[in-house]
Amino acid sequence: MSSSLEKLVEDIIRESKTKAEELRKQALGQVQEALAKERADALREADLIIRSAKSEADAERNRRISQAKQQARLLYLAEKNKVVRDVLKDLRSGLVQFARDDSAYGPFLLKSIAQGLVAVPSETVKIALSERDAKKFKSSRMLEEALAAAQTPRKAVLSDKPIAGTGGAIVTSEDGKIRADCTLEARVQLMEPQLLAEISRILFAS
Amino acid sequence: MSSPEIMRKIVEAEKESKRILQEAEREIAKMKKELPDKIASMRQEILREAAEQREHLLAEAEKAGAEEAERIALETRKQVEALSNTPEAKRKQALEKAMVLLLS
Repeated sequence: MSSSLEKLVEDIIRESKTKAEELRKQALGQVQEALAKERADALREADLIIRSAKSEADAERNRRISQAKQQARLLYLAEKNKVVRDVLKDLRSGLVQFARDDSAYGPFLLKSIAQGLVAVPSETVKIALSERDAKKFKSSRMLEEALAAAQTPRKAVLSDKPIAGTGGAIVTSEDGKIRADCTLEARVQLMEPQLLAEISRILFAS
Repeated sequence: MSSPEIMRKIVEAEKESKRILQEAEREIAKMKKELPDKIASMRQEILREAAEQREHLLAEAEKAGAEEAERIALETRKQVEALSNTPEAKRKQALEKAMVLLLS
């Protein structure tokens, strides 16, 4: 009887211990499952943060490099432009020398006047020269030669108003409505893009 | 053993059994109560590490960008210097060619 009772008591205790252990195990499983789910969510969030940071970092690095490249390009182009413009400046100075060399400048002036005559379709035209040229060529037959070069039977008179500038001529119609600027300065201005391109080609051809 | 004695032993066993289950329930309740804090702490740790990694990545990119920008600037300075040192013969050639083009 006593041993049966002891067994009964032991059974009651063992059963409750087993039940308690099952409850603990079940609860622990639920806790671990919840933790694992939350951990996975947090890791996903962290992954998004890192991936976004990588994109942000790449964009920042590329922005910085692109900015530096652009600055470098501008700096390089500015210097290149300066070098080319310096040659153009020398060209303008060279034109002053050219205008003093009668043997080279005389035919050029004649050609310039002839071009002006062709450009201005007026019976009578006025030809304006610099004071220096007017003095120098007044006594010559330059106007007649220019009319012959332009192959036009028109009348050309020398203007009494001298032009400022290095050289060349301005041809104007009698009524003053049509004007052909054949000065060296106008020629340089007109041909500037071509001149700059040619200078660049020679200076920077690789 | 008398019947009351047997009953007493059984009642005591039942009491012990109840106590064991109640203790388990208390442990479980405690475990569940602590769960939100545990989750928050774990989440905070993971996100803190991610934030640290983010800062590191951005700082590295900033450094790499600055280094590359410096390299580009240095290279450009060399190229600009080379431009300034254009040979006189080339300049003369360009000037002569431009003069011919202008007066032709």
